[in-house]
Amino acid sequence: MSTPRGFALARLDLRSFDRSYAARCHVQKPDRYRLIEALPADVQRITRGAGVSYVGASFGEDCVVQDLGVFDRLVEFDAEQGLLTVEAGASVGDVTRFSLAHGWLLPVVPGHPRATIGGCIAADVHGKNPARDGTFRRHVEAIELFDPTAGWLALDADQEAERFEACFAGFGIPGLIGSATLRLVRAPAAYSMRSLRVASLVEAGEVLRTHAGAPVLYGWHDARPGHFGRGVIRYGLEAKEAERVSGRSAADLPNTVAPWPLCTWNRLGIAAMNGWIQRRYAHAGQQHVPVESALFPLNEARAYYAGFGSAGFVEAQWLVPHARYSDFIEALQAAVARLRPRISLIASKLFDGVAQGLSFDGQGIALAIQMPQPKAPRQAAFIEALTALALEHQARPNLIKDSSLDAESARRGIADFELARECLRRFDPGALQRSELTRRLGL
Amino acid sequence: MTAVVVGASSGLGRALAVELARNGHDLLLVASDARDLAVMAADLHLRYAVRTESLAIDLAASANPGARILEALDGLPSPQALLLPVGMSRSDDDGSLAAAGIGQLLAINLHAPIAIAHALLPALLDARGVIVGFGSIAGARGRSRNIVYAAAKRGLQTYFESLRHGHLPSALRVQFHRLGFLRSNLTFGMKLPLPAAEPEAVARTVVASLGQGSFTRYQPRWWGLVALLVQCLPWFVFRRMRD
Repeated sequence: MSTPRGFALARLDLRSFDRSYAARCHVQKPDRYRLIEALPADVQRITRGAGVSYVGASFGEDCVVQDLGVFDRLVEFDAEQGLLTVEAGASVGDVTRFSLAHGWLLPVVPGHPRATIGGCIAADVHGKNPARDGTFRRHVEAIELFDPTAGWLALDADQEAERFEACFAGFGIPGLIGSATLRLVRAPAAYSMRSLRVASLVEAGEVLRTHAGAPVLYGWHDARPGHFGRGVIRYGLEAKEAERVSGRSAADLPNTVAPWPLCTWNRLGIAAMNGWIQRRYAHAGQQHVPVESALFPLNEARAYYAGFGSAGFVEAQWLVPHARYSDFIEALQAAVARLRPRISLIASKLFDGVAQGLSFDGQGIALAIQMPQPKAPRQAAFIEALTALALEHQARPNLIKDSSLDAESARRGIADFELARECLRRFDPGALQRSELTRRLGL
Repeated sequence: MTAVVVGASSGLGRALAVELARNGHDLLLVASDARDLAVMAADLHLRYAVRTESLAIDLAASANPGARILEALDGLPSPQALLLPVGMSRSDDDGSLAAAGIGQLLAINLHAPIAIAHALLPALLDARGVIVGFGSIAGARGRSRNIVYAAAKRGLQTYFESLRHGHLPSALRVQFHRLGFLRSNLTFGMKLPLPAAEPEAVARTVVASLGQGSFTRYQPRWWGLVALLVQCLPWFVFRRMRD
């Protein structure tokens, strides 16, 4: 690829957060709007925010990576209506801190506080209880988008509505998201967090459904044979003003976590971690937690990610319909007993939405299964079996999480995949927007 | 305090504007791109509740940028600090530049800072304020690259020395920071022989020293040793240094 002129381009080694994919990329780091526009209109490109997606969604070979990290400013705030306009490079942690200081809250944020608003739109992420708050699309009022040919476009539910909708789980294909107006909700003083022990994933599903209205709701589960599914459901209710909790939250998890030399998530390490989760969380009673701490539990998980070592990890996340959930759990447990993979953790969440386009949404229980060293033969065999099992039970894959997913499995897991792909590419007829993710999935 | 930051939309200028706002100072932001300035001004106002105004001006094309800034200051409290982190370099500044290119580099790196300083000098003297200029390690010794840029930066340093000579620190603090490599869009992707400083770190140092007297110093300070070494190199060694 010839180097486009008119701005600084560097050759940088970029790597996905799960360490599954790395590439040497042409990277542009514009610091003014005219430098975004300076990229020639026929150059293949992809937008990059914080670069914290598990998969290679914000970079790839044979394209220019436009790093919008410095476009992280607050543009406008309506304190009466709770409308906040920010540049796409603003992090959800930063937006959360600003919003909370003014009595507002962005209810859907991913666990990593450095994820950017542009990235949250492009992946249509979910938050701490998607059954209650939906996915990110529900909280975006308007988007400003840069199209290499047409220039800057204002999108919302009335103006360019189809393209507006396509931005959510559009993985950057509809164009470069420059800024967005977010619809905030009134913030609670704190969350009153409680933990409930569960003996199995089936029981977890019942507990999740029981507490569907809680603003924070998720489960952490052991996946070892003999302990399969045992864990805790964490749920948080809005605390009253008198129960406000002060104190500093943990520092934001960095964009990249340097791996430890060895993978600590061997059988002993996994046993120790699950024991620690049981001891720390599976107690009765409630604990008042600052809102920011409840929203970003990953801030305390630096060692967890470092412990995967240089071989990284994979997170397979599947949304299993309620009707198939028990059967799926039974089959999954049998597969774990048979293949004996190392699963560091399973996280469970409840969904109660409508699957749109390529978004990870629908009705059912989502299980995020994290596994170290995904290329090791035993691990790879289990991941393959898991994919087959999930598809057999009509589960829907989360494209932004699972770097092991191939194009065929994605098409089988998302019934209207081709339709969604064609819809996205209508806004990018020259196939200029491309990343490792779009290449792998044939988007 | 009201501060004027010229070149405020990117790099060190942006970092200085953020640091000044973080310290509660009202700001007039000056740069070439109106859109970037508007967003900067909005962001700093929202985050730090300071008053922010902005002025978009093409310093290469403006004969009297100081007058434009004075107009923009109308309605704001009289400025007590003028920071001039403005600069431009070109990759073809190797002795082959045409007159227009030379004029552009001199206008942005030398004429504009001097003209703006002259225009705001009465107000700064009234306020017993501070004026802050920024030079470059490139001006330490003339080389076959960045020829006009380095000449302009050295000229600016001389101008600040003259200002300092003419005013006691009790009347006007004249501060000049000679910058080493900075991590910015200008150096992005370049293989640099020495580490680049973060603009935010330099900005913190610059703003923290606004209350000090007059001085000329390197930022970061260890670049003073580098400059001394470069200046002490015998010519036959120095002429072989191309990177």
